[in-house]
Amino acid sequence: MKFILTIFFLLSFTLTPAFAQEDAWSYTSDDLHPGEEVHLKTQEMDEILHSRDGVEDNDPLETINRGIFWFNGILDLIIIEPLSLMYKEILPEFLRERVGYVLRNLSEPIVFVNNVLQGESDDAGDTLGRFLINSTLGIGGIFDVTTDWGIPYKREDFGLTLASWGFKSGPYLVLPILGPSNLRDTVGRVGDYAFDPVNWWAYLSDHPLYSNVRTAVQILDAKADNIELVQELEKNSVDYYATIRTWYDERRKDLMIKQKSERKALDTPRPDDDD
Amino acid sequence: MFKNLIFCLILFFTINGGAIAQLDNKQAEVFMLEIGDKVITLLTDKSISNQERANQFREILSTKFNVKAIGKFVLGRYWKQANEQEKQRFLELFTETTVASYATRFKDYTSEKFEVIGSRAEGDGGVTVLTRIVRPNGQDIPIDWKIFEKNGEMRIYDVILEGISMGITQRSEYASVIQQGGGKVHAINTALEKKLSSYTTTFSSPLQK
Repeated sequence: MKFILTIFFLLSFTLTPAFAQEDAWSYTSDDLHPGEEVHLKTQEMDEILHSRDGVEDNDPLETINRGIFWFNGILDLIIIEPLSLMYKEILPEFLRERVGYVLRNLSEPIVFVNNVLQGESDDAGDTLGRFLINSTLGIGGIFDVTTDWGIPYKREDFGLTLASWGFKSGPYLVLPILGPSNLRDTVGRVGDYAFDPVNWWAYLSDHPLYSNVRTAVQILDAKADNIELVQELEKNSVDYYATIRTWYDERRKDLMIKQKSERKALDTPRPDDDD
Repeated sequence: MFKNLIFCLILFFTINGGAIAQLDNKQAEVFMLEIGDKVITLLTDKSISNQERANQFREILSTKFNVKAIGKFVLGRYWKQANEQEKQRFLELFTETTVASYATRFKDYTSEKFEVIGSRAEGDGGVTVLTRIVRPNGQDIPIDWKIFEKNGEMRIYDVILEGISMGITQRSEYASVIQQGGGKVHAINTALEKKLSSYTTTFSSPLQK
């Protein structure tokens, strides 16, 4: 624990620009406040978010992707789903929630790194605060104290950082075991793995399996949480592969939008003259 | 603080000054709350038969949603290619598969609650109402609803689940089916017919023979 904090502080000093410290505790990220700072103004970002092309036009490797998707489906059916059902059966809801919180707390350092890389000083302050408080008062992240204080978890990863720098998604990809992605987010995954302070700590303190175990528990935990939702989705779609492809794309776009009112330009069904 | 206040005042007056087609937020919230409560009752009341549930869903869909506008959007570039008959058939099938999927979904819902969190006026004249379903066992589900007013009547045009627009998702999914069927609109109708017949065990639709 002491070691991880030391590494973390060293890192925060080397990577944090001075502005990232200011305003660390003010939390104003409410969707409904008018007149707030608008984050995404760059033209590249506009293009990324409001491109007219659907993700179905961005899948040149569709045949291979469908093959891997099918393979993942089999893997899910024979290993992941039975295991996560067992996990859900054995651990009561309350304990599963603790597992989820601990996993999330372990991801805060890399979220912080990404906040800093994106130049989001308020978010960096929030994330740092969350990690320090939930690791101590929240007993290693078992309890999410800061959400009750009005500082909820906000996901960031290196894929989103690359997007904020103006990188386009590149072709849609399905990764073995890990599932839907695209070129940018795949690079992002590698980046997150390489820069994650917790992975460094695990590596340096001789816990080489840590990262694999964490990923495995993450997959199980996420699956256990969403098992009905995913079954419904599959049951109700005409082309499950295409549904997942769009869900992934839309979800990632949503995560890129810091300010929800930025979504207004998004195309949705609207009234016209002959309906 | 003072600066914010002035900003809000200016915003208030500009929005109200130019309010010709802009739908009123509060009205939209009340509209949504009514529908939400009705849907939650349908989902949680186990004394309602599947058939009855489906009928009530169809009623809500046809009176509270603009199915034609949604169907048109969902078919996207293929709407123009379709002939009148195909369009009509598509709208029927689209309605019935939607009814079937909602009527048979959420079997384990018991004491869920529907809450309106707020709303946001959009640049296109519509209002997004932000809501969530509060579940006793499991995480809350955030759902946003895009509402427009036309001819003095409010209708829902899109459902956004955890930031994912159902309109966009279905448009992409249907485009994929049509592309695989050689670019013919007929392909999506066939696929929806097949989907619809897979629901027969729990639900029967007027389109099924």
